[in-house]
Amino acid sequence: MTIRVQDATSPMWLGTGLLRVVTYPFAIAAVAVNYDTYARPWLGVTVLVFMGLWTLVTLAYSFRPALRRGWLVIADLLVTSGLMLTTLAIFDLSIPEHVPSVITTVWGSVPAVAMGVYGGWLIGASGGLLLAVCTGLARLTIDMSLFTDAVLLIGSGLVIGMASTAARRSMVTMQRALRTEAATAERERLASSIHDSVLQVLAHVRRRGGELGGEAAELGRLAGEQEVALRSLVASGPVSSAGESGEVDLLGLVRPLGTSRISISAPAGPILLPHDTANELTSAIREALVNAERHAGPSAQVWVLIEDLGTEVVISVRDDGAGIPQGRLEAAAEEGRLGVASSITAKIRALGGTASLETAPEEGTEWELHVPRVRPEPSTGLARLVKRRQHG
Amino acid sequence: MASEPISIVVVDDHPIWRDGVARDLGERGFEVLATAGDVETGVRAVRSTTPDVVLMDLNLGAGSGVDATRKITETAPGCHVLVLSASGEQEDVLEAVKAGATGYLIKSASAEELVEAVRATAEGDTVFTPGLAGLVLGEFRRMAAAPSADTPALSERETTVLRLVAKGQSARQIATKLSISHRTVENHVHSTLRKLRLENRVELTRYAIEHGLAEE
Repeated sequence: MTIRVQDATSPMWLGTGLLRVVTYPFAIAAVAVNYDTYARPWLGVTVLVFMGLWTLVTLAYSFRPALRRGWLVIADLLVTSGLMLTTLAIFDLSIPEHVPSVITTVWGSVPAVAMGVYGGWLIGASGGLLLAVCTGLARLTIDMSLFTDAVLLIGSGLVIGMASTAARRSMVTMQRALRTEAATAERERLASSIHDSVLQVLAHVRRRGGELGGEAAELGRLAGEQEVALRSLVASGPVSSAGESGEVDLLGLVRPLGTSRISISAPAGPILLPHDTANELTSAIREALVNAERHAGPSAQVWVLIEDLGTEVVISVRDDGAGIPQGRLEAAAEEGRLGVASSITAKIRALGGTASLETAPEEGTEWELHVPRVRPEPSTGLARLVKRRQHG
Repeated sequence: MASEPISIVVVDDHPIWRDGVARDLGERGFEVLATAGDVETGVRAVRSTTPDVVLMDLNLGAGSGVDATRKITETAPGCHVLVLSASGEQEDVLEAVKAGATGYLIKSASAEELVEAVRATAEGDTVFTPGLAGLVLGEFRRMAAAPSADTPALSERETTVLRLVAKGQSARQIATKLSISHRTVENHVHSTLRKLRLENRVELTRYAIEHGLAEE
């Protein structure tokens, strides 16, 4: 798979070309204004025309990535510097105290920008420095205005240079991320087809083993267990944190608990809950499953149903064991040895929910856990505390 | 036993499994008319043989079992599709049911469960595992969260029945618990699937109209 990525600095090259087109009218206006002070007006007009042509030439790198070469950028710098220095020949330098204005005006700053885009902050700032020197030479004067120009020229080369380096770096990072993503997708595709084949074979071994009986039945049973384990692993996928809100998919945590005796029923889509809520709920479910195994025996079936009602999440854990005889639960509670049950209840209460246990002889036991979906807001902690106080 | 054996077509891209299931069912008195390994062959085989039951794998290599199910239920309405899938992909199972499959069993089901499911499917009953009930329940809740005028909703009874199925209760246990007949339980379950399919059709039609595909 190939990933086509545009040059990260392309927009900056376009901007550079645009800057030259936009600044050209300034030069025209300056020539019109200063025309009378020129010693050689014809040279002024010739330089102006040449600037127009050079603008067209340098537009090439704006539109043709192949022309974004060092030699063209350097040529640009040298040509522009040369044009700046023609100021000395155009103006009448015999008048004392007359500071000539540079013929290229702000148009002449563009090479500093181009060098920054091409080579980063150091090259951009160097280009700006050279142009500042040329400005000083062309005006034959050292004053505040020159320093201002110098700072602006060097600064624009520097800043644009830093920006272009940053753009290139983030593009490289993005390319790497895209490549990783593509590789991951491919690996997942391969894994899913391999998993499917393995599942098919395991299911077949389990079926045939069961039919053949004896030792083969034992092999079949083992294959069946692995089949269920692999299936729940494949179905749950990676437990990914769902973005910046710190929510996780409860189903991603609960589905792997499924085995050949534990059936997990749930909606197709994810149930996103705050990280802590999802973890606490999962551990409550796990305890309920352990509890079911202890009371209903290892051969009992357990069904977990997870429902998302929008305002709350409801979880039922039912087993088909012998159930708890009437009175035993109460007796146990009185003697203070209701370990698992009270642990589950405490967990759910801490989440602001309720837990109830229904049981009858020969009807198994059924836990029903209701947990409200609270939007993460500052008052939640307090509300929970108050609620806990009320309960406890 | 009925005088005429139940006829079956097995569509599954995995040869070991496909032939194993075909042989098992054959040994148990079913008549396997054809087997197929991909969508196109499968659909063609079903059209030419019109079996009572189609055993459909959802993961068919190049094609999807959902497409095959849709094509079969559209062109051969007398055939009941029983989805028998290996890797429990939740979304796909739901799509297959919307496309017209009347039952879903994971491949880890025992041979007895499979035989039972095939018999029930042939009689037009729905084969509902707890897992499928959880999926359907979740789907209706998802639709209810963003309802439009024609969004189907489950009745209170249907919700109760589906929840019990999802918690592993058999149709008989549910009937006893709710003091209704076994047949009524079946009807409730069946009606949830019908509503789901209706919603699917409404959605498809709306999509077709919006995209100018239904200008007749």
